[in-house]
Amino acid sequence: MIHYEHFVLDNGLRVYVHEDESTPIAAVNILYNVGSRDEDPNRTGFAHLFEHLMFGGSRHIPSYDEPLQKVGGENNAFTSPDITNYYITLPSANLETAFWLESDRMLSLSFDPQVLDVQQKVVIEEFKQRYLNQPYGDVWLKMRPLAYQEHPYRWATIGKDISHIENATLDDVKSFFFKYYLPNNAVLVVAGNVTVEQVKQLCQKWFAPIPSGEPYVRQLPQEPVQTEARKLETSANVPLNALYKAYHMPGRFDPDFQATDLLSDMLGRSKSSRLYQQLLRQNPLFNNISAYITSSADPGLLVIQGTLNEGVTLEEADAAVEAVVQDLIDNPVADDELAKVKNQAEATLAFSEVELLNRAMNLAFAANAGDPELVNQEADRIQSVTPADVQRMAQQVLRKDNCSTLYYRAA
Amino acid sequence: MIIDRTQSPAYQAIQEIRLPTVQTQTLDNGMLLHSVAVQQQPILRLECIFDAGTWYETTSNTAFFAVKMLGEGTQGRTASQISEYIDRYGAFLELSSGPDRASLVVYCLTKFLPNVLPLIRELLTEPVFPEKELEDLRNITLQNLRVNYEKNAYLAGVLFREKLFGSDHPYGRSQRPELIEKLTRDEILGFYERVIQNRPFQVLVAGQVTENESILINRELGQLPVQGDTAVPAHTIRQEGDQQPVLFEKTASIQSSIRFGRRLFTRQHPDFFPMLVTNEVLGGYFGSRLMKNIREEKGFTYGISSNVVSFRRDGYFLIGTDVNRENTEQTLDEIRKEIRLLQTELVTSEELETVKNFMAGEFVGSLNTPFEIADRYKVILLDGLPADFLTTYIANLRMVTPEQILEAARQYLIDDSLQEVVVGGKVMLPDEINKVTKLFHK
Repeated sequence: MIHYEHFVLDNGLRVYVHEDESTPIAAVNILYNVGSRDEDPNRTGFAHLFEHLMFGGSRHIPSYDEPLQKVGGENNAFTSPDITNYYITLPSANLETAFWLESDRMLSLSFDPQVLDVQQKVVIEEFKQRYLNQPYGDVWLKMRPLAYQEHPYRWATIGKDISHIENATLDDVKSFFFKYYLPNNAVLVVAGNVTVEQVKQLCQKWFAPIPSGEPYVRQLPQEPVQTEARKLETSANVPLNALYKAYHMPGRFDPDFQATDLLSDMLGRSKSSRLYQQLLRQNPLFNNISAYITSSADPGLLVIQGTLNEGVTLEEADAAVEAVVQDLIDNPVADDELAKVKNQAEATLAFSEVELLNRAMNLAFAANAGDPELVNQEADRIQSVTPADVQRMAQQVLRKDNCSTLYYRAA
Repeated sequence: MIIDRTQSPAYQAIQEIRLPTVQTQTLDNGMLLHSVAVQQQPILRLECIFDAGTWYETTSNTAFFAVKMLGEGTQGRTASQISEYIDRYGAFLELSSGPDRASLVVYCLTKFLPNVLPLIRELLTEPVFPEKELEDLRNITLQNLRVNYEKNAYLAGVLFREKLFGSDHPYGRSQRPELIEKLTRDEILGFYERVIQNRPFQVLVAGQVTENESILINRELGQLPVQGDTAVPAHTIRQEGDQQPVLFEKTASIQSSIRFGRRLFTRQHPDFFPMLVTNEVLGGYFGSRLMKNIREEKGFTYGISSNVVSFRRDGYFLIGTDVNRENTEQTLDEIRKEIRLLQTELVTSEELETVKNFMAGEFVGSLNTPFEIADRYKVILLDGLPADFLTTYIANLRMVTPEQILEAARQYLIDDSLQEVVVGGKVMLPDEINKVTKLFHK
């Protein structure tokens, strides 16, 4: 249970305060409602490149990091297909420093061409380090455009191609900033050893003077229902053949999300799961197999992936996975098995609330999705899933013609 | 109200920390139970720690396999039944072995501790090391290793530690496929019988724990038979030759993984704190000199960092980065340049203040969950550091002077003593240029 208080500034900035006096630190999390799904298809990777630029100095403050480090604070940020999230933890006595820094870069960046030039290089090295110079690193560069044909989830957050990052101009940066980095397009969560009154005063002082802007109304092409199985083969210099299967599923805040999440747990969350027991233990086709979901705001993916044992063909492994999947479609789920994955989910949720920063982030995600209370309804939603819900979602999601399959061959 | 946004708000430097105490009690069998009680969430982590890391091996890889196999079958349960049981209670089991110690760790909702404890006891006392599960684990380990060998960063770490400590030394050796292939069940069982079965251990529990949980733990883990002590073997560090640079060519790599560093010392060493601060200035945080130079000025890399790594009986200093292949040599030159600067010019009081404040804040921030606090206590409980190590940590940082940093850099970062390892390549090969261009502009 995450308790919080809420207020909105005149410029539209939504603020949530989660008091926890047991800790000597404060967490300041600011979420901007823009992710790689909001990008121009010809300028992908931009939301993430932009995130890097946010550390290159703002209108009145030449360096973002140094003043924060000086007061004992740490910060980082990440970009997802859905959002861009910035966070600070610092000794609570120095909370105001976080307000000073975050409000100035919401007001305006420095737009220094040198910063853009260097961060383009840094992001290109990140692209290489994570996606090109790793075994199987390019899987999602290939899987996304296979699974999504219309929705912007069809490109990875890092971008479709390095050239998109290379071609970014300072004008692109400016128009992106003034379109999305607005108080009325952000959620601020302040958590830890702070008081609501203190946060209100600091917000008035630092954030209230920032002008609001034209509201961003998201209008993205939605992904049509997939009606035909898709398949792609690729090969690279990797040691083992690998199989990837992705099925369209409901988004993070859909009423059927939890049932589908539990379905993926039954399939391949842990060692007692169906795929692990049947295809790694009993019939050892794989040396690694799991199932998980992408948890995106718009309809996401349920993914099954595994690496194959030598001597096993991809066709054989794929057929075996489909048989395990078919069993979930055809037969009701036992109460015991559902109780097991519910207990796992309950524990995961409890562990995710141990860390102050996680609580702040969970609250920000829910608030951004339209209802902060979602964060406290999660446990009940998990518990209310029935065996019939799981089977219904298996039948809806795990259809063959809802699946994109990638055979990744060892060259 | 008009505010001056160019002026930073007033701030306070962190001088001390508040820390929940660790309570230690003796179980019926004489073993110690350490508890860090933080009642915020209804969860806990329980860890049984044995002196059973690679340090105690007589055959390579036995520690890893013996510990992992604890979860693969007991007299009363098959591997599947064990995972089924753990998962039913939403618990998470980790069986891990490191250079010095091995541990069985369980995370669970506190309400399920009574269900989980009997299983832990069973795993520790009645494992049967079944053949089929051993072959599965061997296969999984070998296949993982094949994938890891394709990662430059992994390979660079392996080569670096080998050069520092010798490929036979527990701190220097890594998993090797040819040795894993011929490892026998008897060797694994032998390791278990020698250093885990009926051997002394310590229990560390953190989270929502009360007197009731202590009683439950004593009822199970306090009743395990314990006989004798685990003998501590001696190992000689055999540094391989001089510090000849290692270059492992991988023609298909568009980046190089660089490792650069040397053997150092344990946390008990009188120069530990000066070296810790020196490391931080050089490459310990985002604002470090290496990060500013190699990433923020030159854009050669996504990240570069340096670390002081401490084991129970030794340690090392390491700089690591993945850089654009063609900038490999220049990055190494810049690293050496930054080290020379530390050896010749005193760090300014302003930079040092930032570094110390950052380290103090980071330290406080790293004591934010019961698990982090318990992990911090381990150095006192297990590595024999003084009881006030954590409470005097910030004061010890604050005492480090610019002169000490200069001295530490001169004494410990002498160029001849630093080992260079590169996996990838130092020059762009002609056919590579074509390949890369194709990759970028398809």
